[in-house]
Amino acid sequence: MRGGLPARLARVAQMLARLPGVGEKTAQRYALFFATTADEATARELGTELVTLREHVRPCERCNHIAEVGEDGRARCAICLDTRRDGTLLCIVARVQDLLAIERSGAMRGRYFVLGRLLSPLEGVGAEDLPLEALRSRLQDPGEPIREVLVATPPSVDGEATALLLAREMGAMGIQVSRIASGVPHGGDLEFADQVTLGRAIEGRKSFG
Amino acid sequence: MSASPIALSLTTPQAPGGPGGATPPSLLLERLLVRGVRNVAHADVQPAPRVNVIWGNNGHGKTSLLEAIYFAATSRSFRAHRMGELVQHGEKVASVRARFVERWGDLPPLAREQVASIEGRRCAVLIDGNRPPSLASFATRSPVVAFHPNELSLTTGPASGRRTLLDRLALFMDPRSADHRARYDRALRARHEVLRRAERAEAVGDAEIEAFEELCAVHGAAVTRARAAAVTALGPELEHAFAHIAAPGLSLSARYAPGGSADVQAAREALAGQRRRDAHRPSAGFGPHRDDLELSIDGHPVRVVASQGQHRALTLALKAAETATIRAARGVEPILLLDDVSSELDPDRTEALLTFLGTARGQVFLTTTRRELIVTPGVDAADRRDFRVQDGAVTPLSPGERP
Repeated sequence: MRGGLPARLARVAQMLARLPGVGEKTAQRYALFFATTADEATARELGTELVTLREHVRPCERCNHIAEVGEDGRARCAICLDTRRDGTLLCIVARVQDLLAIERSGAMRGRYFVLGRLLSPLEGVGAEDLPLEALRSRLQDPGEPIREVLVATPPSVDGEATALLLAREMGAMGIQVSRIASGVPHGGDLEFADQVTLGRAIEGRKSFG
Repeated sequence: MSASPIALSLTTPQAPGGPGGATPPSLLLERLLVRGVRNVAHADVQPAPRVNVIWGNNGHGKTSLLEAIYFAATSRSFRAHRMGELVQHGEKVASVRARFVERWGDLPPLAREQVASIEGRRCAVLIDGNRPPSLASFATRSPVVAFHPNELSLTTGPASGRRTLLDRLALFMDPRSADHRARYDRALRARHEVLRRAERAEAVGDAEIEAFEELCAVHGAAVTRARAAAVTALGPELEHAFAHIAAPGLSLSARYAPGGSADVQAAREALAGQRRRDAHRPSAGFGPHRDDLELSIDGHPVRVVASQGQHRALTLALKAAETATIRAARGVEPILLLDDVSSELDPDRTEALLTFLGTARGQVFLTTTRRELIVTPGVDAADRRDFRVQDGAVTPLSPGERP
């Protein structure tokens, strides 16, 4: 029992604190909410949904984006199934969250491939831990030949190294590879951009026409 | 040690000399609130504009007070290896609130409040209640230069201390240099890890090594360029300062000895050619992590020829040159924090230092165990304040008060 909380409640709080973005205090608030304010159905519904979630939702077998499992037992995401998308353009991202962010922009009309992780030798992630085989077969899918790949990994050291690795792999396959630009946010005044971002924007400048 | 008083000859700031002749802008620490920094549980200090003497016995918190100023100005410490050391024993949080005033010529002075705090391992900084875009931009707002006894290893010790000095200067000259350095360090460690795995006969493709090598080359070249620029700015200041502090007949020269290259293609090739050897070494044989600032007196390396006294004079000259370089780059007179310099230096050299620093016209904080030794004939009584530090408590002394 911690801080006067019943052991069972403290245990639930501890489990909730494992969730991303949830700290100790928030976890305690959630646990107390279920124990006191919420009616029983709220907890039961949430519990049931969580238990069965993985039966209904899995990574897409084509792109690793999160997908609903169809009646045939296969998981294919809405983007891969969308016939209006440009099947010759593929955007590679590190995480599903990055895909969702790019989707919100509405600027990407092609398809995606989610790596799930970045090259990071210091955290024990090598090239063999990346889904490169799956990416290769995706690129060579005869049903939908990819002509251009946009690498949209984050501009961190690990993200840049992953992008360089992918560019080399795919360059050898004769596919046009580009990297997302890095620079100032739209709508923001230049004066508010931090020095590093502004410096990168100037280094990555484009000529007119 | 001689007990003769040390005169701190400070020139008084001049009034603007007509059109175009404005006084150099200066920076003042006007108020300092310290909570839970080492043994200083609580302190509220209102310093004088020129000289502040922090007096007390050893172990009572004099250096902690200087450290608190340094922390509020830079978010770093000049003596702690881990920032958590700053937090007072038994406390959870250490925080410093500093009110800085910046003056530009005869324009009205502008004040800002900088807050730095540590909770556990987390360090948070604010300028006027807002988070700065980066720690690098925070650290360059209110420049301070600290001089403490450990820094006597700057000339005799490992090159890492001299690299740190160059990086501090580079930060003021090119704000992006800190980002390049952080990226270079990470890419370098990652490359090393990949090479070690390749040596253990694990399946590692060339593409993985090349990816990190490319980042090492690009960011390493940027670090090399930034440090070269820092040495170009520091060199003349250092030679000038050394001539004033040490024997005038000797000529000092400072030369940048790069461990890497400013040319990306050259760096790429050098790294690619050393993979096997690098895998067996603690770190790569090529790159700016091997940089040094080579100092020589009359053409001979100081490590070999300099006497103990010359090393001390050289260290002082380095600090004076650092101050001058930051002044030129940032356009503001840095605040000087001198920790117990008189105990490490002979009186003549301390006097030379103080005279030289006096021409800097900045605000000075100095700690001493012997207050009677610090005499400042060139400073108005209103421009000097003495503080006594005892058991972590800071009390201002009235001007005539005897110890």
